[in-house]
Amino acid sequence: MEEKQLNEKESLEVISNMIKATQNRFTQNAGAPFLVWGYTTVLSSIAVWFAMVRTGNYWWNMLWFLIPIISFPVMMIYNRKQESGAKTYVDSVINKIWIVFGSVGFLVSLVAMFGGYINMQLPILFIVILLMGMGTTLTGMVMKFLPCTIGGALAILLSFLCLIVHNWNVCLIFAAVFVVMMVIPGHILNCKGKCDAKRA
Amino acid sequence: MLKELNPLLHSELRLALMSILIGLEEADFSYLKEQTQATSGNLSVQIEKLSAAGYIAVNKSFRGKMPRTVCKITEEGKEAFAEYVETLKSYIKL
Repeated sequence: MEEKQLNEKESLEVISNMIKATQNRFTQNAGAPFLVWGYTTVLSSIAVWFAMVRTGNYWWNMLWFLIPIISFPVMMIYNRKQESGAKTYVDSVINKIWIVFGSVGFLVSLVAMFGGYINMQLPILFIVILLMGMGTTLTGMVMKFLPCTIGGALAILLSFLCLIVHNWNVCLIFAAVFVVMMVIPGHILNCKGKCDAKRA
Repeated sequence: MLKELNPLLHSELRLALMSILIGLEEADFSYLKEQTQATSGNLSVQIEKLSAAGYIAVNKSFRGKMPRTVCKITEEGKEAFAEYVETLKSYIKL
């Protein structure tokens, strides 16, 4: 492309071609954040359930910290590799959604973990699913990606099961909800990314 | 009498840059080079012209040891682009 004077038709063609080139397509591995957070949460939940049922020792709850310990570094490496050089408005909105929901989720988890010392009890698994479900639903709506919207909405509905079950099996419900909310939509998103890349 | 098309935008590469940036929050030099298939020298010159006109904001920084130039369309640039498209419509009687 050069600094060439255009006629009207050529101008329209340039505008239309460039807008098409920057249209929102699902990139390859777009589902990776969902898969990283989803699988880590599922495995940690199962580990906590197994340890608590076997030993009854509350210190095994520290295994929940595996989620941020594993996921944050993996996501940092992923983000550095994935940068395309362009940031869309959709990327920006999704980032902000997860900064808000992620921070609130982390803060509430800390309060729940150490709130016992000040006599504060929180139904933490219910709250975390509710927050992450809302984040996932909003992400799906912004991306116009139905599996994500449905997964998030189902998670919001299923979160109430955590208020009904009062034993350690609640960890298994938590894991199952993350499969519905993040793992399945993450795999579908990756498949769609691969298809879009082939078509491009 | 038809209104004159903005001469700053009525050039292939500058129009392409504005068309890309109108749909993005920001884009770096490598991305713009890849999309427009322009040479680095020519691209730098055109970015400079658009920046001098206040149509785009250019932010130069470093990522590690590599320099990085990020461009973002300004409000003035959005208005100029919208006006250009409106004038273009009158030319082709849309």
